[in-house]
Formats: sequence, structure tokens, C-alpha cells
Amino acid sequence: MFQIYLPIAEMSVNIGMLFGMGAAVGFLSGMFGVGGGFLMTPLLIFSGIPPAVAVSTEANQIVASSVSGALAQWRRRNVDIRLGSVMLIGGILGSIVGVQIVKILREMGQIDLIISLAYVTFLGIIGALMLVESLRAIRRVQRGRPATTRRPGQHNWIHGLPLKMRFMRSKLYISAIPPIVIGAFVGLLAAIMGVGGGFIMVPAMIYLLRVPTSVVVGTSLFQIIFVTAFVTILHSTTNQTVDAVLALVLMIGGAIGAQFGAQAGQKLRAEQLRALLALMVIAVAARLLFGLIVEPDELFSIGPALLD
Amino acid sequence: MGRAGSYLVILLLAWFWSAPALAREDIQSDLSARDIKIESNFTGAEIVVFGTVENGTRSSAAGDYDVVVVIRGPDEAIVTRRKQRTLGLWMNRDSQVFRQVPGFYAVLSSRPLDEVASPETLRRHNIGVGSLLQSPDAGAEEVPERDVRAFRDAVIRIMEEDGLYVVDGRGVTFISKSLFRATINLPADVPDGGYLANVYLFRDGKLLSLNQSQLSITKAGFERLIYSTAFDYPLLYGIVAVLVAIAVGLFASTVLRRD
Repeated sequence: MFQIYLPIAEMSVNIGMLFGMGAAVGFLSGMFGVGGGFLMTPLLIFSGIPPAVAVSTEANQIVASSVSGALAQWRRRNVDIRLGSVMLIGGILGSIVGVQIVKILREMGQIDLIISLAYVTFLGIIGALMLVESLRAIRRVQRGRPATTRRPGQHNWIHGLPLKMRFMRSKLYISAIPPIVIGAFVGLLAAIMGVGGGFIMVPAMIYLLRVPTSVVVGTSLFQIIFVTAFVTILHSTTNQTVDAVLALVLMIGGAIGAQFGAQAGQKLRAEQLRALLALMVIAVAARLLFGLIVEPDELFSIGPALLD
Repeated sequence: MGRAGSYLVILLLAWFWSAPALAREDIQSDLSARDIKIESNFTGAEIVVFGTVENGTRSSAAGDYDVVVVIRGPDEAIVTRRKQRTLGLWMNRDSQVFRQVPGFYAVLSSRPLDEVASPETLRRHNIGVGSLLQSPDAGAEEVPERDVRAFRDAVIRIMEEDGLYVVDGRGVTFISKSLFRATINLPADVPDGGYLANVYLFRDGKLLSLNQSQLSITKAGFERLIYSTAFDYPLLYGIVAVLVAIAVGLFASTVLRRD
């Protein structure tokens, strides 16, 4: 079959397999309305791409998928640019720190471990929470009650913070500090894990900032475009780990898959979709954890010595 | 040059070189390719080393003479890490740096190396994987010799599994009285750079002659453009990568849009 040589990963892989992976993850991300980075990065690692290259390249791919996602939301006027920009300030700071952490961990030889551990932790927690929540929702629907999760607006400690700003589209008057902190955390994850961070940002915006659900996805995608673009450039200049050939194949596969996934998603119920996604997230976390716990066949590994 | 072409060259050279002369026993050799390009469809390559034993005093080169072919890729500094179970997880703990490690090393001979010459002779001429990785980096702490050996063995084992180190005790074959050939397979992830092909002629454990040729493996075309831009102009590379991603995103949401 058609082999393609990846110039930065320095390996030859089957282009059909790569394209298929991009399309499959794109399909799932279109169906579930998620970015897909948290599925794609582990898949790339499982298929032998060096983890640092997988993370940086995936950040590049997410630029493409979030551009098309954000455009669709923009057409429905669901983007709060002001809120997104404030979060972006944090995102830039977080990704600068994250890329430096990757650089240091690579030199220490611990980057693979930390990437796996970060995935096991976040995917494990989020998968479990999603599963519990969606199973409850399914049970509620079966008892005949509507499956909404909206809570009445209430004031919490977030509203006591200074530096208040008005966000028109979100109909909010809150401190700029929490959006900056959330943005920074997501920027850190984007740099270390190669994810957009929507799976953290969306719940944080809904439950902590009380951003209306309709604006949440568009605004987070808006922020993700710029953070992942920034992360791509930073990884290029600091670690030289962005494989443009790999990214392009994944982007094209992902773009096609996402269109079909979005159609398929409309035929499934929201809470069933969330339960399915939760199971998938838990499976990926379990697979990564398995790789850390079971004694590897080869205890030794070789890497380039990063000498001064 | 195709396979038929290489055979033709071999035959022509054999004809020229088999002409009688009065010099001492000598070895002449050449490669089927001197410049290998890694392009996007690169899945590895095969090179043929061929040559003749000249002025052989014995009736047949096969059996009396031993030919050893060593192909050595560019050296680089590497770090080997060893995993240990820590807090229930397998993580990298101790490490060892080696400064001069060839990214590719093939040693092919007409008989297994231990029958060709003594270990001392082989080591003196840097023949065989046993001669590799003799320059461990002391680093911050003193590593016991036993551990250095474990790391060295691991590097050779991993490189052999990846097809980057090749030992073949029957890899050189005589196809006539004095004409020999050896075929070396370069895997897809062979490092680029300058390669040296040394062809040694032994008899009764003594080195009689050495012939050296050079080979270069370079990234070419699109692959080279991507690679050199990534390392020489990283900022430009990052910006272009982002612009391409934006273009694909726009394309997907306009042309491919299905809602």
C-alpha cells in the first residue's frame, strides 16, 4: 500500500491508515461535538509516533478543526468574542509555560510518562463523571422527566472577585480573573497533551462562569483556534516537533469525517451520545494506564542526547 | 540504475579487474548506488557492494580469502534510558549517554567474523558491533562498568531489532573465483548523512587490503524542504503550518459543508 515518510517523526507509515484515523476521529468529533484531540493524540502514540511529535502535530490539526467548528457557530452568532479574548490572554500564558515544561521533560526523558499520566488522569476523571451524569440522564428520561441539566442562576464566590467586566453576548458581569485562569489551564493542557481543551473549558464555563449554554461551544472554539495556533508555532520554534505532513493528512481525513459524524449525531439522543463518548474516553484512559503498569518487553529505550 | 544495470557493471568490472597484473593481493570494490534520496515514498533501499580480489595467488578466492564489508552511518550522540517500576508505574530511571554511535552499522562477511580473524584484530580495525559504543559519557555520576555494559548491549539489541545494525556472517558471497557481492537492506528510518563502506580482505586472520567508498543518504524533494525549514526557519515553519490548517478549516466549512 501507499507508504508515506513523515519528515519530523522520521518514520514511514501507511497513508491510508493515517487518513482513516483522521476520518474516524473526525467522525466521532463531529458526532459528539468534541474536538477529538484527546482521542487522536493517544491513537498516534499507540501507532508509534513519538509522543512529543504526536502532541505538537495534533495541536496543529486542531487549528483546522476548530476553524471550521467556530465558523459554524459564528454563523449562528454564538461566539462571545470579548469573553473568548479574555480567556485567550490566559491561554497564551498557559501555553508558553506548557511548551517550556515539554522541553524540560524531553531533556529529562520523562515526557512520554507525563503525557500518558496526564491523559490517564484527565480522561479517567472526565470519563467517569460523564458516564455517571449521562446514565442518570438516561434514567430520568426513562421515568418520563425532561433530561435537562440546567440549574437556576445563583451567585457564588466567583462573583466576589475584582476586575469585573461586562460580556454582552453572554449576558454576564463578572471578574476577568476566572476566565483568564480557565484559559491559562487550558493553554497548559493544549501544550502538554495536544488537545483543544474543550472537555475542561466547556464544563468550567457552564458551571463556574454560568455562561449560557448556547454561547459556550462557539466561544471555546474561538479561543481554541488561537491557543492551538500559538502552541503550534511555539512547539515549532522550541521543540521542532510539529510534523506538517502528518498534520495535513490528519486534517483532511478529520474534515471529511466530521461532516458525516455531524449528520450521524443528529440521529442519536444526546444522553446516549454522552454515555457512548464516556465509555470511549474511559477505554482510552484504561489502555494508557495498562501501558504504564504492565512490565514492558523492552526496558531500555534510545533517544537523541540533547547535549549543549 | 536498475538491478540488471548493477549486474552489468559488476560483470564489466570483473572483466577489467581479472586481467593479470604483478602487484600484491588487493581488493577493489564499488557500490550499486552512491547517492540515496529519502523522498515521501521512501520505504528503505537496497545497496549492493561488489568487487574483486586481485592478484590472488590461490586458485580460488572463495575459501582462501575472507571478505568483510562494513557500512557505517553517521555518528550521533544518544542517550539510553532504563525503565524501573516506581510507585507501580514503569518509568525511565537511570540513563547512559554514548557520544559516538553510528545511526546505521552493517557488517557482512564471507564467513562468521570469529572464523575470519581474532577478536583483537577485529577490534583494532573497528570491525563488528563489539567495537561500537566504546565511548560512554561519564556524566554527573560514576556508572559501574557492569551497568555500562547493560546499556551498551541494550543499544545494540534495539538497533538490531530495528534493522539499523546488521550482522551477517554469510552476507558476502563469491560469485566467481574472485568476484564477490554483498546486499545490504537499509530500513525506512535509516538516518541521513554520510556513510562509509569499508571492504576488507583477510587471509589466515591477517588483513591484506582495505578498500573504501563513500555513500550519502539525503532527504530530498518535499521531505527535505519540510525538514530543513523546520530546523532552519522554525518560526516560518510554525506560521505556515498554522496558515495551512486555517485554509483546510475554511475549505472544510465551505466546500465540504453538508448542512
